[in-house]
Amino acid sequence: MVFRSAKTRIAVGSAAVALALVVTGCSSGKTTGSDSASKTLTIDKAFDLKTADPGRMYEPTGEMVDKALYETLLSFTGGDVSKVAPGLATLKVSSDSKTFTLTLTGTHKFSDGTAITADDVVFSLGRVIGVKGNPSFLLDGVTVTKKNATTVVLTTKTATPALPSILANPALGILNSKVVKAHGGTTTDKDSAEKYLNTHSAGSGPYVLSSLNLASQVVLTANKNYDGSDKPTYTRVVIQNVKGPTQKINVQGGSADVALDLSGTQATGLGSSIKVTSDPSANVIFLLLNQNPAVSKITSNPYFVKAVKESIDYADLVSIAGTGTSQAPGVVPSMFLGALKSADELKTDAAAAKSDLAKSGYAGESVTLNFPSDITLNGIEFPTLAQRIQSQLKTAGITIDLAPAPVATELDAYRNGTETIGLWYWGPDYPDPSDYLVFAPGNVVGLRAGWSATADASISKLADAATIGGSNAERASQFQDLQKALNSSGPFIPLLQPGNNIAAKSSVSGVVYNAVWTIDIAALGSK
Amino acid sequence: MGETARTVRASHPFLRYAGRRVITSILLVIGVTLVTFILTNLVPGDPVAASLGQRAAEDPAIVAHFRAEYGLDKPLVVQYFTYLGNLLHGNLGISTTTHDAVAADLAQALPATLEIAIGAIVLSVVIGVVLGTVAAYRRGKVSDHVLRVVSLAGLSVPTFWLALALYYFLYFKLHIAPGSGRLSSDFNTPHTITGLYTIDALLAGQLDTFFDALSHLFLPVLVLTLYTVGLLTRFVRTAVLEILDQDYVRAARAKGLPTRTVVWSYVLRGASIPVLTVVGLAFGSLLSGTVLVESIFSWPGIGSYAYQAASHLDLPGVMGVGLLIGVMYLLVNLIVDLLYGILDPRVRLA
Repeated sequence: MVFRSAKTRIAVGSAAVALALVVTGCSSGKTTGSDSASKTLTIDKAFDLKTADPGRMYEPTGEMVDKALYETLLSFTGGDVSKVAPGLATLKVSSDSKTFTLTLTGTHKFSDGTAITADDVVFSLGRVIGVKGNPSFLLDGVTVTKKNATTVVLTTKTATPALPSILANPALGILNSKVVKAHGGTTTDKDSAEKYLNTHSAGSGPYVLSSLNLASQVVLTANKNYDGSDKPTYTRVVIQNVKGPTQKINVQGGSADVALDLSGTQATGLGSSIKVTSDPSANVIFLLLNQNPAVSKITSNPYFVKAVKESIDYADLVSIAGTGTSQAPGVVPSMFLGALKSADELKTDAAAAKSDLAKSGYAGESVTLNFPSDITLNGIEFPTLAQRIQSQLKTAGITIDLAPAPVATELDAYRNGTETIGLWYWGPDYPDPSDYLVFAPGNVVGLRAGWSATADASISKLADAATIGGSNAERASQFQDLQKALNSSGPFIPLLQPGNNIAAKSSVSGVVYNAVWTIDIAALGSK
Repeated sequence: MGETARTVRASHPFLRYAGRRVITSILLVIGVTLVTFILTNLVPGDPVAASLGQRAAEDPAIVAHFRAEYGLDKPLVVQYFTYLGNLLHGNLGISTTTHDAVAADLAQALPATLEIAIGAIVLSVVIGVVLGTVAAYRRGKVSDHVLRVVSLAGLSVPTFWLALALYYFLYFKLHIAPGSGRLSSDFNTPHTITGLYTIDALLAGQLDTFFDALSHLFLPVLVLTLYTVGLLTRFVRTAVLEILDQDYVRAARAKGLPTRTVVWSYVLRGASIPVLTVVGLAFGSLLSGTVLVESIFSWPGIGSYAYQAASHLDLPGVMGVGLLIGVMYLLVNLIVDLLYGILDPRVRLA
């Protein structure tokens, strides 16, 4: 080959030198070699990740990540969130549910090899309260005191039977206080350790944080000092931010081992090499009908509320939602203590609806249904659901005007109690039925439905009884009574628990859905 | 001597022209900040409700702390001037979503988008100019009609559909393309120097990472190119047709110059100004309009960041993206304007 000009010769020469430099100095950017002991697991998840700092984290992706990085004082076994199990500590509760004594088992160590002490517990819980972040409310009214080197006592002014379930939340993971303090950690809102905790982990979980990019991926590597029961099978885990439709193709094509956000329709027809685990999620989609006559004279009429409850075709809604979805029996999701059985679900009854609608004096006026137009929950799009409800109610003679708005905008109207009919969902803050007392008259969600504290004395009485607590059996029956009353005369209509579908290659074992942390990454094995 | 040199420089028509464009651009940037700020704050909805969890948003102490931390407790005018003041120091505020500096977030997201946008614009220009010129030369013939249909198809097929369909066939069915994301999961991110994974991998001497990053660019670049090529082909065809009618082109052909010389030195040079304008606009829209492609290919670029910030009413994040895109448009326009000046003496002398 002859290069005609001097310029060309210089350019080609430099390119050749550059290439030679690159090739001779080249190394590999790959993480796994031929070593069979090193295994990478790739998980696809649509991120809602804001931080990996347990003191500030309160999003589903963060719960899953922090569950792998940190251990909590108490925990849940597998997918059963109705009973707490010991974690780093064992628990003794006083009979009035106000004093909780936690004794460290002493068998676990932090990832740097140091022992976990009561000081670490006091610091970690104190920090959650002090930084005033999203999970701070979990410990509202809780005082944390060290009794001795291995015992911590939590006290509350009022009975807090939900506290053991709360303590299993990865947001209350125990941090290595020395390490965190050395990087700006305090128990006040002056804390500046978040940056450090987004680049390193400081816990005792089965994994340590290798890298975190809130927009694209989180990489975990096995904690060499981990001595808990579920030693991780995979030495490296990559959690990638991928949306639902792409997740399906990825898991089929093999570039992902687990896909966590498939809708009911996406989870079908994946082929024999993919195993799908479908369960109802702990999210409950419901309608609220405003009881404040100043907002709507129509929806505040009890016969109208009954007519709407009887007009909705629940089975039809379940069928459009797809695999895994079930009708919500009450406001408390089916896997929690105190949930109603399917026999107690609301039922469609066209004849009763007709008669109740006539009693309500409704004369065909338009009623507005507000809903967040950009929410897709476990693959269920709120606009689709709203349209189906509109057409079902139209058959029953009720005219609905749909009023969609982006969630960031619509939240204001919902929280201020100005929606006539609202279509929303409640995701549990912690897996205990007391989280659902918010639906009682005068409480947060009750007020969003214009339901004042004095609106229904009998339901308020049932809610008060459930607040006090008791044994698990007593609590279950209290919450069931409350929900039966809510279903019968409350302003809420529990509709669906959308299905949670996890697709995994059949070579991945141990996939179990948990309502708090979606999946326990360390429990995933290889077949 | 110094005096004379300064006078010469100041009076050089191109420098005067360039100076005017730069000053206009700076004024426009300030305008962009004001418009973005007003629009962002006009959105109904409270960032507190959108950023904090349900329970946290009910706690007055947490809400007060949040408002104070992000300066939302001050009047809007004060917020704007604080923002401008911080901007002078390169501080775009702290994102309420990522809790990180917006400037740092954008510095991370921009290279991801640039990597696919640059790839797409380079390919589009090469293909678009060739196809557009061919179509113009063969005006009315079969090849012209075929190219018209192809370019119209590129423009009218919805991007997200095309992206998903190509991903399904080329990755899952044919195994030609790699999975989503910027790198395969068994590769470590190369040490960040430019943020462009291909370049960073080369600088780190990791050839396998370079080829993996390059292969991941294939699909997003292909989808963006198909759309942009459609646009450019049509523009180039129109521009070339106009030039072909000019007397100087006829004269060149009449005096028997070879076709290659006529195309390169007469036709394309004459058509370059309108084509340059469209290339500038197309590049701007590639930088700001890749949300869907980024979403399908799990590409953590500006589009994904903008969507995330908007859906959480993350005002500093939204402002940052608005400003960045505004500045990028201005920068591209400035470069295009300056290129006009170089290509066409009439522009700089006007």
